[in-house]
Amino acid sequence: MFSTHYAKTGQLLRLNLRRDWLKIVFWLIGLVGLMAGAAAKFDGLYGTKKAMATIITTLKTPAMVSLMGPFTAKPPYTVAIVYAAEMMTFMGLFVAMMNIYFAVHTTRGDEDSGVLELIRAHSVGRSSALTAAILELVIINVIAGVLEALGLQASGMTGMNAGGNWLFGLGLAMFGLMFGAFSLLFAQIADSSRGATILSYSWLGILYVIRMGTDVKNPDYTWWTIYGWIEKLDIYGKNNWGPVGLMLLMTVIIGALTIMVGATRDVGAGLLPDRAGRKRASLFLAGPLSLIARLERTSTIIWLVGLFFLGATYGSIFGTAGDLLKSNPMMSKLIGTAATDAANRAIVLSFANKLTIIFAVLAIIPGLITMFRLNGDERKGYFEQLHARSVSRAHLFFAIAGFGLVVSLATFFLAVCGMYVAGAASMGDNMPSFAHFMRGFWGFAPALIVTFGFGALLSGLLPKLQTLAWILPAYGFFSLYLGALMNFPKWSTQLTPFGWVNTVPVKAVNWGTAGWMTALGLILVVVGYIAYQRRDLLEN
Amino acid sequence: MAQPVVQIQHLQKHFGKFQALKDITFDVYPGEVFGFIGPNGAGKSTTIRTLLGILKKSSGQATIFGQDVWSQAVAIHKRLAYVPGDVYLWPNLSGGEAIDLFLKLNGQKHSAKTDALIKDFDLDVSKKNRTYSKGNRQKVALIAAFSTDADLYIFDEPTSGLDPLMEEVFQKHVLALKAAGKSVLLSSHILSEVERMCDRIGIIRQGTIIETGTLDDMRQLSRTQVTVTTVKDLSTIQQLPAVHSFNQTGNKATFAVDSENLASVMTALAPLEIKQLQSTPPTLEDLFLRYYNQEA
Ligand SMILES: Nc1ncnc2c1ncn2[C@@H]1O[C@H](COP(=O)(O)OP(=O)(O)OP(=O)(O)O)[C@@H](O)[C@H]1O
Ligand SMILES: [Mg+2]
Repeated sequence: MFSTHYAKTGQLLRLNLRRDWLKIVFWLIGLVGLMAGAAAKFDGLYGTKKAMATIITTLKTPAMVSLMGPFTAKPPYTVAIVYAAEMMTFMGLFVAMMNIYFAVHTTRGDEDSGVLELIRAHSVGRSSALTAAILELVIINVIAGVLEALGLQASGMTGMNAGGNWLFGLGLAMFGLMFGAFSLLFAQIADSSRGATILSYSWLGILYVIRMGTDVKNPDYTWWTIYGWIEKLDIYGKNNWGPVGLMLLMTVIIGALTIMVGATRDVGAGLLPDRAGRKRASLFLAGPLSLIARLERTSTIIWLVGLFFLGATYGSIFGTAGDLLKSNPMMSKLIGTAATDAANRAIVLSFANKLTIIFAVLAIIPGLITMFRLNGDERKGYFEQLHARSVSRAHLFFAIAGFGLVVSLATFFLAVCGMYVAGAASMGDNMPSFAHFMRGFWGFAPALIVTFGFGALLSGLLPKLQTLAWILPAYGFFSLYLGALMNFPKWSTQLTPFGWVNTVPVKAVNWGTAGWMTALGLILVVVGYIAYQRRDLLEN
Repeated sequence: MAQPVVQIQHLQKHFGKFQALKDITFDVYPGEVFGFIGPNGAGKSTTIRTLLGILKKSSGQATIFGQDVWSQAVAIHKRLAYVPGDVYLWPNLSGGEAIDLFLKLNGQKHSAKTDALIKDFDLDVSKKNRTYSKGNRQKVALIAAFSTDADLYIFDEPTSGLDPLMEEVFQKHVLALKAAGKSVLLSSHILSEVERMCDRIGIIRQGTIIETGTLDDMRQLSRTQVTVTTVKDLSTIQQLPAVHSFNQTGNKATFAVDSENLASVMTALAPLEIKQLQSTPPTLEDLFLRYYNQEA
């Protein structure tokens, strides 16, 4: 039994580690560098009483609570406590993404490429591949956790303590492993690595959004959101290890379930059986554009609906966010009701600015994924038949680029709409107009177009390096989400197109900037096409 | 002869430093099936992909229907159908959807002929491509190609995944194309297929076409195996330039003769008083093996 199921697990693990080590090192450097770097900087940021008071007021606003979790610590506040409040939820997101990546990559990724079939043909156990993947995740997370704890220890941040540092590091490790386990389970259920990734991110997204809601309404409910466990560690306060135990329990349960499912299904298949398809193509499926639309149908719907709801979820807390001044009756008495309303609107609009950036960064994802089909499907050989038919390269390229860009813009638009609709419902008459919110759309849409254009350029010009295009939105997200809190220098936020836009919707759209950015983005797409049209199409 | 459908002259292709095609020159004429054969890695698929405009040539000339294969690709492809050796299809589409899509991309429709082909190749078109075997994916491409009304059909090892029954169906349909006056470029490792269907053959080795012609021509060009016993000593025969792999035991010798020089060798043997003579014409396999193994 042992040998039929687990034979050669160790060898497989070594093989996988040898293959993945560079990627692992990159993730670790990123995670640990971010944690330790920020920790070393925080004393400088919040060393003064005044800075501390300001950040604590900010962290208690519903807008910040929705993004980063509730600020529940009791005075006396220290820099370390502020650090934990700002970083925990955010780092959890990063660690979960790392685990999703490796979990899917080492299981379904190998299966899709046929590597696993070769491996299974050797005297390797049925569950060996899965077990090796689990062990790899454990190793990665433990190393990450220990290094993070040591990094914090070394940072010398005011108010930190060894107990908190270790809880931070190991808590994140456990949290990551838990999402790794979920992902491994999804990898068994889905029928491809793409499907497993979509399921994993949907799950992460849903949990994150639910915890956002419970945190704003009543943080006690956050215990039910799984994601929220990471907020309950109370690091540098009481240092509560309880949630780590909960995560461990959940990981073990999901892990056991995964192994059970994995042992019963066939290699290359999902758990769900394949339905029969159509005998004939629909009238709609007639050319490259409709083909791309057909291939991207499901994920496009998920993105459109998903971002509308994400927008709506944020919008629904506008009512509370705008009530900031109510909690301070003295203030409203002093400045009068009309002025209070105006101040609330200003708060909502500046919150909307941050949200609009997040929506734009998220909305670029489906567009770039579609764009990268140009080389991805080529490598898989799917396009070979297309090229032999009377379809020009221009037709194929612009069908893909056009579909991707339109889906990105539509997703972005729906997110802004969702935010407005739910915001209007929660704020009532005091809500700024739709046109106000659309400033955010018109302002950031050009940034989205430039980012997309960069991706299109790379896929035409440097197909092997096209994934580098993800750096723009990833860094944009990072620099604008954290940069504002950590006083990043201005130039560092302007490295991405998202930093070139003024603070819409607070300010009016700068049409000049919007104009040249849009032109730049479209030029990048066209240059990408010119390069594509002159080169060999990749094969295999 | 009529204007060639495919015309390739001194075609070259580099991949970085590696020269995959060094000198490719051959023509395919209307109404003929041209066999394109050669060892693995010789450059068959690379030549075909260059003809399809998927790869860009490094130098030389290649035209189809008199139009440049790179700059006029779209116009050429209107009158062309292609089946690669490894067919990959979008996993979420069904076979039926893929067939219809391929037809529509050439401005054609699913016809009665398409239905007949689906029946002939015995394919369940309602299945998702994900679930198809290699052979079944190949059938999808073959059905789409055969039901396309084109003037030139290009097949790159189209039967590498088919069972013998389906191989038979494939050959039947290629012969039907030939009867209808269409041109076919067929790359294959299956010699019986080549022998049965091809009018002319081009042999490629290490990126160079080393021979083109009909099979009969090639038999002429290749070597006949001779075993002979004579009364007088026959070691002098070894000196003749047309004789190869000479092997003598006593008065018996085995050797290979360039077929076109068979007569002169016989003349040389006659004075030695032949007691016994056996000559075997080259089999197709011998013929190809000789070309494949030749030193460059
Ligand atoms: N994209 C590429 N980059 C580099 N080298 C390539 C590329 N494509 C093909 N080659 C090389 O060119 C040579 C010819 O390959 P090709 O696929 O044309 O051979 P083939 O004659 O079709 O072989 P087979 O009979 O195995 O199908 C091989 O040595 C191959 O490795
Ligand atoms: Mg080949």
